[in-house]
Amino acid sequence: MSVLELDMVSVAYGAVPALEHIDGRVEEGEAVALIGPNGAGKSTLIRAILELVPLAAGTITVLGATPARARRDVAYVPQADTLDPQFPISVGEVVLMGRYRRIGWLRRPKAADRTAAREALERVGLADRARDRFGTLSGGQRQRVLLARAIAAEPRLLLLDEPFNGVDAVSEQALLDAIAALKSDGAAVVISTHDLAMAHLTCDEVCLLNRRQFGFGPTDATLTPDNLRATYGGHALELRGDQVVVTS
Amino acid sequence: MIEPFTLPFMQRALIELLILGALAGTVGVLVLLRRMAFMTDALTHTVFPGVVLGFDLAGQDGIFWGALVAAALTAVLLTALTRHRAVSSDTALAVLLTTFFALGVVIVSRRSGYTADLTAFLFGRILTVAPAQLAQTGWVAALVIGTLAVLRRPLLAATFDPEGARAAGYRVDVLDLVVNLLVALVVVASVRAVGTILVIALLIVPAAAARILSARLALIIPVAAALGALAGWAGLAISYDASLHHGLRLASGGTVVLTLVAFYAVALVTAKTVPALRSLRRRAPVRAS
Repeated sequence: MSVLELDMVSVAYGAVPALEHIDGRVEEGEAVALIGPNGAGKSTLIRAILELVPLAAGTITVLGATPARARRDVAYVPQADTLDPQFPISVGEVVLMGRYRRIGWLRRPKAADRTAAREALERVGLADRARDRFGTLSGGQRQRVLLARAIAAEPRLLLLDEPFNGVDAVSEQALLDAIAALKSDGAAVVISTHDLAMAHLTCDEVCLLNRRQFGFGPTDATLTPDNLRATYGGHALELRGDQVVVTS
Repeated sequence: MIEPFTLPFMQRALIELLILGALAGTVGVLVLLRRMAFMTDALTHTVFPGVVLGFDLAGQDGIFWGALVAAALTAVLLTALTRHRAVSSDTALAVLLTTFFALGVVIVSRRSGYTADLTAFLFGRILTVAPAQLAQTGWVAALVIGTLAVLRRPLLAATFDPEGARAAGYRVDVLDLVVNLLVALVVVASVRAVGTILVIALLIVPAAAARILSARLALIIPVAAALGALAGWAGLAISYDASLHHGLRLASGGTVVLTLVAFYAVALVTAKTVPALRSLRRRAPVRAS
């Protein structure tokens, strides 16, 4: 059973099509990069996998069920800069949110919940910052905290929205390590990015998107100059060794 | 500061203000974190025609129910108006606020004794609180605090990161509606005592002062509740003392609000000057529910 199956998925905002005929699957321990220019529909596809936008056509299957039914096994990492840095909440409290669905509404967090939160924070290298206020951390560190929150939920499918945007080198490496660890634990990972080099580093597969799908498959075979030129439209592209350069 | 409260009507006023101060302080933290100050302000104005009509139809007892109907109507109209993409929610709020408030003024202006009534509706009548009204306030407080306690985790998740909360399966739209209704309930419960204009101060100022003093939610909420209750007691005592011993007739509701603002000013100065508070603001605890 695939962790994620996209079967001719189309999404529209009103009469305007945002995504058309996206088709592919992601297996256990695999990572796929959603690649495309801004406005290509990368975030829309992630929202569709979370069942936050309705499908115009096609089906999405997560772990053999509808996305809503599989929600407990799916974790989502938003972009850190969408959150209010003034919010009075500690790093430890943010990570513990990843356990909320397990804790429930009324009972207190169990030792297992606190252990999971602490270990998740260790995985992203921020165990010593648990007591600090979330907003006092750097952008890259905040992104790591949000990944730790997702890890604490023990997901089998992890969705990340542009996790490397404006992230410093140290945090980037910490994110990469944590994602690699999750993969080796058997989780499937979907990362939206417009950073082709990061896609190369983290992902086994890529999905080239610009409203529709321009390729879905193993990274090396799919990230070809022709495919990229088709995806990015008029922009010229060069592949130098394993480095990809996009010029406009 | 205890002497005035040997009189039964002053005791009732004190209990009413202690409950309302603590309740509004607590709910105010939510208003602050969700940046709902303008929405709350609009709500305090839109209940006005309900207050007037309720009083017309059923006297003092009608005020609560009139305000409740108007508040519910506001929530519904607001949701409907903001469905239109062309109208932003602050525009819709401004339209609703002025419409309802004007409606209230028109209704009240038909009455004889226009000015005295208007003053009572706008600034409240804390000194004429009846025992039944106290009980009503108590029930509202229990309902609101109980709901907040049960929903604390979903509310925290949805307030901090709405999209993440949606992704985790929380019904964020329902939670938003619940928060709006809770705020409306507090406004409605406070209106008779402190009037439509001063409710907003009870909701916003204690929470804002508490936020200045701490970055820990587990501290902000009790501090806001305590400041609200404290201002209720001090404001009432000061206005009584000024009227009785100094020949100064100070409106109780207004004095309570000015006391709150004084707390806020003290919080601002303290936070800037006391180093221990600065570090408290930066560090937050790892243990939380």
